[in-house]
Amino acid sequence: MEELFSIATKAIFIENILLANFLGMCSFLACSKKIDTAVGLGFAVVFVLAVTTPVNWIITEYMLKDGALAWAGMPTVDLSFLQLICYIAIIAAMVQLVEMILDKFSPTLYNALGIFLPLIAVNCAILGTSLFMNTKGYGFVQSTVYGLTSGIGWLLAIVGMAAIRTKLQYSSLPPGLRGLGITMIITGLMAIGFMSFIGINI
Amino acid sequence: MQFLKDLLHSKEHLFLKGGKLEKFYPLYEAKESFLFTPRTVTDTNVHVRDSLDSKRLMITVVIALIPCLLFGAYNVGFQEAKAAGEAVDNWLPLFMNGMITIMPIIVTSYAVGGIWEVLFAVTRGHEINEGFLVTGLLFPLTLPPTIPLWQVAMGISFGVVVGKEIFGGTGMNVLNPALTARALLYFSYPVQISGDKVWILTNPEKMVDGFSGATALSVAASTAPGSTAGETLQAFSYSSFDTASLFYGLIPGSIGETSALCILIGAAILILFGVGSWKIMAAVAIGAAGTAFGLNALAGPNLPGILSLTPADHLVTGGLLFGAVFMATDPVSAARTETGKWIYGILIGILTILIRVWNPAYPEGAMLAILFMNIFAPLIDHYVVQANVKRRMNRVAS
Repeated sequence: MEELFSIATKAIFIENILLANFLGMCSFLACSKKIDTAVGLGFAVVFVLAVTTPVNWIITEYMLKDGALAWAGMPTVDLSFLQLICYIAIIAAMVQLVEMILDKFSPTLYNALGIFLPLIAVNCAILGTSLFMNTKGYGFVQSTVYGLTSGIGWLLAIVGMAAIRTKLQYSSLPPGLRGLGITMIITGLMAIGFMSFIGINI
Repeated sequence: MQFLKDLLHSKEHLFLKGGKLEKFYPLYEAKESFLFTPRTVTDTNVHVRDSLDSKRLMITVVIALIPCLLFGAYNVGFQEAKAAGEAVDNWLPLFMNGMITIMPIIVTSYAVGGIWEVLFAVTRGHEINEGFLVTGLLFPLTLPPTIPLWQVAMGISFGVVVGKEIFGGTGMNVLNPALTARALLYFSYPVQISGDKVWILTNPEKMVDGFSGATALSVAASTAPGSTAGETLQAFSYSSFDTASLFYGLIPGSIGETSALCILIGAAILILFGVGSWKIMAAVAIGAAGTAFGLNALAGPNLPGILSLTPADHLVTGGLLFGAVFMATDPVSAARTETGKWIYGILIGILTILIRVWNPAYPEGAMLAILFMNIFAPLIDHYVVQANVKRRMNRVAS
């Protein structure tokens, strides 16, 4: 239990997939202009991460790892060179699922997200989490928690950024910084704020 | 006075549009506001008239900071003399000694920050805002007395430029500039701003036995499993940290944050003149005390000893109270809706205690908790407003 809690705080605050690893920046920058869009995309990412990470774990554990196919009577087969392509395929399938669900139940959000919804498939935060999960050697439950909480960390970051950008409409930014420039700077400042639990050791 | 006023106004044409020194109008305007009352009045229809302008607002905060500043100077001198084993009965030399230490820090902060402020005001053509008087004083008060001056200059530059001016100046920033400055120093130069060696000026040749410059929080954090944090604080040999001495504040720590008493005087001034939000202050205290209370119940022999630090001790140690009164209530970076203020404050309190208890690298959480909540203050506001809109829509519909 404590270990899971530690994984969760790490994924949300210290090793925030966006603010510490800077993965998933493009949709973060592009879809953080309005809070509602940001919340929608954020939850889509949480869902995709929470599903793909454990599924990818199962794939790795029972099919790809060296000797993972022992249950099928092939203990010498090593398919780990297929890791990236398998992960991407799983992620793309999940994103397709999310897209279909959104199109059915929330067409407004579907339209607002536009191209960025299918682009979750190539959102590096998603692939990054699966690969980190792999290098960290997590088990099934840990991977699920890790995927879910990385998503929550990403959601927090994009929603906070969207609220700040809404507030910034009342600021008088220097012309050269308007748009992406100030967003990058705020991302940096947010990263400082998210470092509050750094050095945590449970 | 009239003479000065006339002299000033006789030069006004130089700074107005078309004048020779048009570019430096912000400087002229600052001087005029500083010495007299600004002459600019609204020329359109009815306005609410109130004597509380931003000049008075900011200067009230500066006044509220003065008890902390004076006590801080005395405490710096007191700790230095005590560490050297000298007499600490006569307060005046201690106070003067402390002043000599902290004045350069404050002057550096004001001078360097002021240069940036003027530079931005002149190039961007906005007025020099009095808000800087607060930032420039808050920032040094959160630093240890041993901080190198170049770090003060660097911190305040970052705080003023990146924390505030690139957003368009006072009232438009997202994070509290003083805290941004301190966070930069904390993450860039942790050796000079944390640990046990920086809080007291020491002379290595004259040191009393058992000397340790640890702050109360780092002593509490070192509590061995099995004993309580309160006992560890009391038993600390160099200067006993019981709740009363933590409250009065003759303890090692950042310049302005040690004395809970002086901070409460400042809080009283802020609340009395309607400048600081009592809701935020109360909410931070409630959040922190509640969390500490819950953790007390949790404390056991297998968990870190700091869990057993009582709510009262949590409130009077470290920067929590200073942050709650002077940083969290910053009207620009805090939540602006009334319900939002409660949520914002309570979350600051909870986060502060959680960081203190679970972050062994840094037993102080107030600064980072406030920065973190600064980021989310606009979001809290958004949802409070949305909830209100929804409620009223329902009322109209029914």
